[in-house]
Amino acid sequence: MSITYLDAIREAQDRALKDDPRVFIYGQDVGAFGGAFKATKNLAAKYPGRVIDAPISEDAMVGAAIGAAIEGMRPIIEMQFADFSTVGFNQMVNHAATLYWRTGVPCPITIRLPSGGTSGGGPFHSQSLETIYAHFPGIVVMTPATVEDAYGMLLSAVAIDDPVIFCEHKYLYYHLKASSLPTESLPIGKARIARQGRDLTVVTYSAMVHECLAAAEVARDEGYEVEIVDLRTIKPLDTDTVVASVARTGRLLCVGEAWPWGGVSAEVIARVTAEAFDLLDAPPQRLNAKDTPVPYHPNLWAAHRPTAQSVAQSMLRLLRL
Amino acid sequence: MFTPLPQVPFVMPQLGESIAEAVVVRFLAKPGDNVLAGQDVLEVETSKATMNVAAPASGKVVEWFAREQESYAVGAKLGVLEVSAAEAARLGIGDSFEPAEHESMRGSVGSMRGDDTNKAVSPTVRGLPVPANATGASYMSPRLKARMAELGIHAADLAGVAGSGAGGRVTIQDFEQFLANLEQHRLTGASSMRVAVADAMRRSWTRPIATVGMPVVLEPLLDHRKVQSPKPGPALYALRALAIALSENSAPAGRLVGNRIVHPKSIDIGFAVEVEDGVLVPVLRGVDQRSLGELTARYTELVELARQRRLPTDATGGSIATVTNFGTFGLTFATPIPLPEQTLVLGLGAGRKAPHWDEAKKQFVPVMEANLTLSFDHRVLDGGGAGRLLARVAELMQKPSGL
Amino acid sequence: MLPTAVSNDPLAGVAEFRDQFIRAYRFMLHARLLDERLASLYRSGKIFGGVFLGRGQEALSAGLGVCLRQGDVFAPLIRDAAGRLAFGEHMIDSIRTYLGSPLGPMRSRDGNVHRGRPKEGLLPMISHLGAMISVVNGMLMARRMQKRLGTSVGAACLGEGGTSTGAFHEALNQAGVERLPLVMVIANNQYAYSTPTNRQFACDNLVERAAGYGFDGHTVDGTDLGECLETLQKAVDNARSGRGPQMIVAPLLRLCGHGEHDDSSYIDPRLKQSELGRDCLEIAEQRLVAEGWLSGEEIGRSRSELLAAIDETISTVQRESAPNASAESWQALSTVSLRDMSSGTEMA
Repeated sequence: MSITYLDAIREAQDRALKDDPRVFIYGQDVGAFGGAFKATKNLAAKYPGRVIDAPISEDAMVGAAIGAAIEGMRPIIEMQFADFSTVGFNQMVNHAATLYWRTGVPCPITIRLPSGGTSGGGPFHSQSLETIYAHFPGIVVMTPATVEDAYGMLLSAVAIDDPVIFCEHKYLYYHLKASSLPTESLPIGKARIARQGRDLTVVTYSAMVHECLAAAEVARDEGYEVEIVDLRTIKPLDTDTVVASVARTGRLLCVGEAWPWGGVSAEVIARVTAEAFDLLDAPPQRLNAKDTPVPYHPNLWAAHRPTAQSVAQSMLRLLRL
Repeated sequence: MFTPLPQVPFVMPQLGESIAEAVVVRFLAKPGDNVLAGQDVLEVETSKATMNVAAPASGKVVEWFAREQESYAVGAKLGVLEVSAAEAARLGIGDSFEPAEHESMRGSVGSMRGDDTNKAVSPTVRGLPVPANATGASYMSPRLKARMAELGIHAADLAGVAGSGAGGRVTIQDFEQFLANLEQHRLTGASSMRVAVADAMRRSWTRPIATVGMPVVLEPLLDHRKVQSPKPGPALYALRALAIALSENSAPAGRLVGNRIVHPKSIDIGFAVEVEDGVLVPVLRGVDQRSLGELTARYTELVELARQRRLPTDATGGSIATVTNFGTFGLTFATPIPLPEQTLVLGLGAGRKAPHWDEAKKQFVPVMEANLTLSFDHRVLDGGGAGRLLARVAELMQKPSGL
Repeated sequence: MLPTAVSNDPLAGVAEFRDQFIRAYRFMLHARLLDERLASLYRSGKIFGGVFLGRGQEALSAGLGVCLRQGDVFAPLIRDAAGRLAFGEHMIDSIRTYLGSPLGPMRSRDGNVHRGRPKEGLLPMISHLGAMISVVNGMLMARRMQKRLGTSVGAACLGEGGTSTGAFHEALNQAGVERLPLVMVIANNQYAYSTPTNRQFACDNLVERAAGYGFDGHTVDGTDLGECLETLQKAVDNARSGRGPQMIVAPLLRLCGHGEHDDSSYIDPRLKQSELGRDCLEIAEQRLVAEGWLSGEEIGRSRSELLAAIDETISTVQRESAPNASAESWQALSTVSLRDMSSGTEMA
């Protein structure tokens, strides 16, 4: 049996709906149609009245989720694309994120953001927006990179009493497969060593984990062993695991598909230089998407974001420093 | 002449966001059929929907590579279409047509092994990858500095290490390798005196140090010494001469700090005394104010105390120059290093008989002479200034009764 | 001007209306007096942020409050002191929140009108008022899913300025699609801060929008408590009985600045002289006396009793200790294990 990353997301939602009567799914086309990416396929029929089509109203979708959470529900909101979540931005960052702090009433909502680039997606179907949500206090931001994490972390997201932005990567939906669903997972907030190494720490998350793993093989051919840290959640950020890895290797490269300015890679580097300056044997580096909107044509798109190839180049340059 | 018609592949299109593959359900055109651009030629099914794939151009279906009910990745060649030269021209394709999407649609997960180096993506970090001072042999990373500090090791200790980093810098790996190699030698502890001297010399050597020298005739000094009791050592004559010279003009003993010269408050001068595994420098205070006779007993006392390592605190530190009598080792010339907080060190070599031309006798005569050297911080003093100071000292030493 | 009686007995209907009128009036008076005291605390420098008064809007506000009941949801606007009191908010919540007391419902973390008790159905507004409507929708949807909606309704209040937001459109459309028991009350007080209605919307009457969202629309004179009670009761009853979402648009005039920092010099004097500029509290008092429901003496007594209670509550709150920054958790997440402990805010 082969389970894709997308299957894992659907299975996690199926299980959440099955195990917890407080869970419901609300989003555009999620009902009988099964969602633009089929992440809710068959769920509306299986759970009548609990997988609900929403009007094209991201603000009202999130607002309703907040209200439902106040009334004891655990809504899952599907944004059709992460890019569209900006329409619901106000409800997320000003309302959901502040509710517990202001009132003491938790806001257990999960907002799924189909994120990241796919070939031909263009400027409004490709964005990686995890950084802007992580900027706001009161929000947990998850960026699963594996089929297992897509499943386990989505179940955790629903169980957590705080708003969770669940950034699921569209490229991984069908490209990533596992043989079975996991029965257990790492705790939320804990990073994972995706590959052990000796010479360089690469901190990354989501689809870029796989680009970095491929790039590490290139570095291996040159005699280097690269350690890859998969952050899993970017907020909270597991600084301890990152610093422990840098303590082993002395070198840090951060890779993200999002834009560079003030992003996750910047945050990781800031923390390592502030907390572990003496562990660095070379200036920390980062590799992000180019600072332009995401281009449409596949040739431009492939050059816009980091790839295994550009990551490998950055790795080797840093290793030779 | 027969020219083969251009061929265009049928490619599995990207049939939706994130779709990686699709199953060919059935073909709607068979090899040999003529199809029009945009005409449906096969039916495929993704996990999202069933859709038709259209012909990319008008022409004749040559062959299907794909088989029904099998799944093909986005970008895969499913078959090939033969088009007319006019159609090829209209589409802007040639014989070497390759769909542009191939390169990128293959995705990159697990497929990039540097096989497209000429299409390298330049990273967002442009220009110099790191600050210029972060490369080169003199650059030490924070980690290297921290490790060295932990072990009490100084940059000078790494002089022999060939760095493997950018510009030959010593990386932490190089350093650890260096340490591991040291273990293969016999290692003994350095005395605290050795470490202290090393530290002082290391600090001194951060400045450009130069040395000037000239011979000085010792006869007047030796004659004068014979009738003294107790007898002052030759170095004390030099010390007293230096004190007088500096009292006339203290500027050469000034220290450069930033953009200012710090002048001495008092003519306090030290002298080097060799002790076990090192050198100590007792200090005589206000030497310009005290005659040679007055200084002799204190000088002798301080030499003894230094050898016993019992120097009183008022006899250490704070001096503006040092005198060293390297002649006691039989050396005729040396380039001593001034102490880190001083600009000058005056050296006195071993006395020896040297032939001097006696103009009156028109012949060489043996004369007792020694080399006098002055090492100085070239930032404060130039060769001329140093030479004038040294000449004045030599001149004063020719009239020992005035000391 | 009799209410649409629920009872068959016309005399019982009259008595019921009279009782509701008197109750609503007392909340209006209480709110007016509380507002005045808060304004004077503001002018004496005791209040940190702004003070936003409901002067001129009490009839609409109290009218809605007395039509709601325990178990309903209420998302007030910033001038709804009367409606809040009528819905059951104790005035100490208001005073504590204005004065920043850690004992208030917002525990010094939020202030003035940004207060509420979500678990009791009173929503603490964010500044983007249009955003509150979909939250009310979500509460009603949740109750319906939980099969405990019953006859409860949700009321959301907005000024005419708030109707220009995208959130308003999304939420009303959503409530229409879901056919929720939402009562959308729009106080058209003629100015959104300083912006007059001709720069805010282009339709003749905002209630025209009701049809577009699938709402029943009602217009009512917001200065007349009797009319407000009648219309609001009808709208709330419609919502309770499953007749779908309701919109009430009430023209009136804000008889104060946007906040106490604002002298409202931009308000057109002709509006002040018009019917809209009448003081709803005075009109209500005139009717109470004319109908013989309360005497001038009784009104005077109510006033002094309320003032004494307000002053005593203010005094209580002023004796409460201020929040201690070093005792704050400074954590925005409820899940302790997910708190990010390394945020660069202080040296480790």
